[in-house]
Amino acid sequence: MNVKDLLLERKGWIVALLAVGGMLLLAFPLVAQYSVPEYGDDFPLIGSRAAVWIAAQVHLMFAAFVLGVPMFAVIAEAVSIFGKQDRYDRLAKEFTRLLLVAYSATALWGGLLLFLLTTLYPTLWSYLAEIFGASMWVYAGLFFIESATLYTYYYTWERWKRGRAKLFHWGLGILLNVWGTTVMFIANSWLTYMTSPPADVTPDTAPGMVQFWSAFANATWMPINIHRLIANAVFGGAIVAAYAAYRFLKAKTPEERAHYDWMGYVGNLIAIGVFLVLPFAGYWLGREIYEYNQQMGITMMGGFMSWLWIVQAFLIGVLFLAANYYLWIGLGRIPGGERFAPYTKYMLVVLVLGFIVWATPHSMIATRDELAAMGGTHHPFLGVLGLMSAKNTAVNLMILTTFLSFLMYRRANKIPTVSWARTGTISQGTILAVASIVVLFYGVYGYFVPTIVRIGFSVYQVLIVLFTIVAVLVIDVLIARGADTRGPIRWGQMPERSQYALFVIVVTFTWLMGLMGFARSGIRQHWHIWEVMRDTSPHAATPALGYAAQVISVCVILFLLMIAFVFWIGGLIEKPQLVPQETEDTDAAELGPGYEPSLQPATGD
Amino acid sequence: MSSVDLKIVLVTVITIAAYTLVANIIPQVQSDVPEDIAFGADVTSEELVDAGRSLYEGAGGCLACHTEAGGARGPNLLTGHDGEGAIGERCEDRIADLDCKDYLFRALVDPGAYVVEGYPPIMPPTDRTLTTPQVWAIVAYLESLGGEVTVTGDDLAQAEEETAQPAAAPNGEQAAAPAVATDDAEAILQDLCLMCHQMGDRGTEMGPSFDEVGARLTASEIRTKILHPDQLISEGYEPLAGVMPSNFGSQLTATQLESIVQYLSALR
Amino acid sequence: MRKNLQEPFWQALIVLAISYVLLKWGIPYIPPLIGVSSAPVPQSVLVQFMLTVAVGVLVWVSDNEERWRRFKQPIREALVLPERKRVRVALLVLLPLLVGFVTYDTVRPRVDAPAGIRAVHPAPPTQIDFRGEPVRIEGAENPLREEGRIEEARERGFDIYYQSCMPCHGDYLDGQGHFAHGYSPAPLTLRGGSTIAQLTESYVFWRIAKGGPGLPREGNPWNSAMPAWEDFLTEEDIWAVTLFLYEQAGISPRTWEEH
Repeated sequence: MNVKDLLLERKGWIVALLAVGGMLLLAFPLVAQYSVPEYGDDFPLIGSRAAVWIAAQVHLMFAAFVLGVPMFAVIAEAVSIFGKQDRYDRLAKEFTRLLLVAYSATALWGGLLLFLLTTLYPTLWSYLAEIFGASMWVYAGLFFIESATLYTYYYTWERWKRGRAKLFHWGLGILLNVWGTTVMFIANSWLTYMTSPPADVTPDTAPGMVQFWSAFANATWMPINIHRLIANAVFGGAIVAAYAAYRFLKAKTPEERAHYDWMGYVGNLIAIGVFLVLPFAGYWLGREIYEYNQQMGITMMGGFMSWLWIVQAFLIGVLFLAANYYLWIGLGRIPGGERFAPYTKYMLVVLVLGFIVWATPHSMIATRDELAAMGGTHHPFLGVLGLMSAKNTAVNLMILTTFLSFLMYRRANKIPTVSWARTGTISQGTILAVASIVVLFYGVYGYFVPTIVRIGFSVYQVLIVLFTIVAVLVIDVLIARGADTRGPIRWGQMPERSQYALFVIVVTFTWLMGLMGFARSGIRQHWHIWEVMRDTSPHAATPALGYAAQVISVCVILFLLMIAFVFWIGGLIEKPQLVPQETEDTDAAELGPGYEPSLQPATGD
Repeated sequence: MSSVDLKIVLVTVITIAAYTLVANIIPQVQSDVPEDIAFGADVTSEELVDAGRSLYEGAGGCLACHTEAGGARGPNLLTGHDGEGAIGERCEDRIADLDCKDYLFRALVDPGAYVVEGYPPIMPPTDRTLTTPQVWAIVAYLESLGGEVTVTGDDLAQAEEETAQPAAAPNGEQAAAPAVATDDAEAILQDLCLMCHQMGDRGTEMGPSFDEVGARLTASEIRTKILHPDQLISEGYEPLAGVMPSNFGSQLTATQLESIVQYLSALR
Repeated sequence: MRKNLQEPFWQALIVLAISYVLLKWGIPYIPPLIGVSSAPVPQSVLVQFMLTVAVGVLVWVSDNEERWRRFKQPIREALVLPERKRVRVALLVLLPLLVGFVTYDTVRPRVDAPAGIRAVHPAPPTQIDFRGEPVRIEGAENPLREEGRIEEARERGFDIYYQSCMPCHGDYLDGQGHFAHGYSPAPLTLRGGSTIAQLTESYVFWRIAKGGPGLPREGNPWNSAMPAWEDFLTEEDIWAVTLFLYEQAGISPRTWEEH
């Protein structure tokens, strides 16, 4: 296709882009004239806070993407090297290509954030710079190394494809992750310092007097590091799945469709699988915040921000439903999947009940009459569902249900041949049942013990769920050894609506990230640096959730628009080679779902 | 745009809209900045004077130097200085073109520019630890000592407006110049510390003596005591807790601080 | 009819209807049958629950290719088949009317106050000003408990409770005092696991000392009639009555982990 054809084919887009660009150009003089008389240095139209907020949030979304995708790429490359599966290698390379473009977007937004901070909040910035100056130089320096590694990693892909060179190439990928993680840890120290400066720092302390290491490794630093690391992997997986969904919907050949169906499955699996661990990291972070300052903890969980968690529960409920929905639809393309189809409705009931319990507010919104009938904002019967015990129980059961969906997926097309298959399956079922009962037991028992003991219970619930997941999975892998197959998965034969579920998942993850960003930053309330430096600007008050939601939505839309651009560019650079495979994977059944390009058209509706 | 693109955009927009809607349906609560001093424009002068007195005697830390007895550190504001009466009587005449309240306010915010002859320039700018309305309350209290209170709610309202301007915020930053212009420990001790402490036969007998301090305390303890005077109080001096200014950390450069610490730890 | 019950479309409608009945009338009327008190579910929560169920039903009808096709069939038939013209016309008239009515119902002027929200447990201040004396709230323990004067404090708290608190919070600490029904919001029950059992003693001390007027901004809108007891009781009185509340309700205050 020559350039002219390409331009003609995309003329709708080009016109749209020109129109948006023209409007921006027209708006520019207006913005330049604009000044808020009473606020002096305020950012035009949206105000300084929203400006910094949006820049920081979009920067973080891109950063999460460029940190999450390399993890994904390295794992995929490892599977291709050690599992001898070529298609994982193509997968890894395809992501790295997206990374190149996304990387510069991250840097652009980071630069914008930096300039906004230095011009709009100079006092805060110079304070932070005085404490963290040295680490800021290291931070910038690491970018040179990281970029060099990234470019080497991508452009040597074909050259170092075989033998020892391939291992070296994989090492580069690991290095890329190391640099990225270090960079993130450094930046995290600045923002966690703002939330939890060491106790001996007071408003009188000159920044030059603050000990660097105590400021760097402050109370919430490590919890945030871990939390973000996990969340980045989740986010990377979700974006990859959305990319695959887009390609799937646009695919013209059955081969393409099969490839992108499979890619979407892998991305989603990683996103949801890693996501199951995230609540535990969040729990640790919350605990550290409570330990650092009870007032801050109560503001976060019970006070001003308590409704934020209801909104969060709503989002996570959507995630669980969408993820299971995707898996259940997927059963339709696995031979033997129909055996499990009747059970999905019971799992759905568990998920819906869990969702209801999880999103039941402790104190309800009610009119006067309703309040009078309830005798307060606590419902006499549903009130018990508002407490942590009920919510922990609900979310643990939802996790187990999602895990069960995944198990069904794995088992669908296999006929185990090991002698103890029946015993194994029964023991799997027993472990799951016992785990559910234990989780329920602690949930109910939690109402009869003091809070301090109950908090301990949530740890037991988490441990039993983790143990169950690991144990059942190990048994499952062993059972699947040498299993006969009922036929390969018909990749590509997926109804289109399943792909939209992947979009819902990625939008939800992105929005959730924005919401949690607001939570992390908002608990500081009117402090730039908690109980050390006050926010004296006109925007010192912490906004209500409605306004925050609007800003978050703006960030999400900006991010998605740009990531769509990145995908589009990524698609232009190089069409992935989808030559039918010369050598079919030898033991695909053991290492993952088999990949069988189907020549039948997918059943869409 | 193809129909697939349109559907994707639709799904995305609907999802985002749903979340925004949910967050907007619940009644909105904003977390406001707490007020430090609850004075409106209609505050009475009695209320101001009361607040000012408690600041003068408490959090403001003024009594540490400006006592009734008078002393080497600051003039007596309460009952009279040099036969001129209490501060309320003489404030009008201190600086030619400033009336009483403006003079007092400026002297509190930028003390270095209005040092009374014969006294060392050691007073810290009060607006570093107090808010502007609080400074105005102190002004009202000082005026009430033998004079007429002229501070009104308007001054506070104006002050509120000024602090709301980000441009006015870095106000105190220029004043962060070191309190003394030398790195020589002897000179710093003479100018600052010996106002309250004794060393040999020099200084004032108020805080603990510096003689043999190096034998009693480690260097790091001495440093802590200078930076955070209230964390470590020497035995027998508990009643004087809170008297020593806690802002030497911002008044001294690191070199100055270290040179004093070294000097003192060598006194064995 | 029998045949219709096998159709996903009608099944979905039935599930929705049953869920509505259960949530709307089941929750308030079933638990009392087994001796658990209950009350009608507020409209906002009912809507939230029903939406969740509706999403669940949608997932169910569409997670299987065959079911999804059958689910859509009655809808398609109603919109396309010539012999269903009457149904079609009825739907096309009724549905917009329904939407219009719901819209009207939401925006029409009413006399009752709009639904309110408040933070259940607003964040307590680090320290409060108790009649001019600073009292530290964060991390504070009940001094009477610490000094082991539990029995004495309990008796003193008993007297104070019956003098000052009982008229609203009731004989049984259940928020059902003589005056309770005159107030909105109603006085809080102090029994059970969801009120003071969630709080530290210093938090309860703060709430008693400062009452409704002392609630922070985030606790609003709030028209609590609870007086600020610092004007009537001494510091030790309030600690005593706090201790009494926990002893009488048979629950222990929330404690924080040692660290």
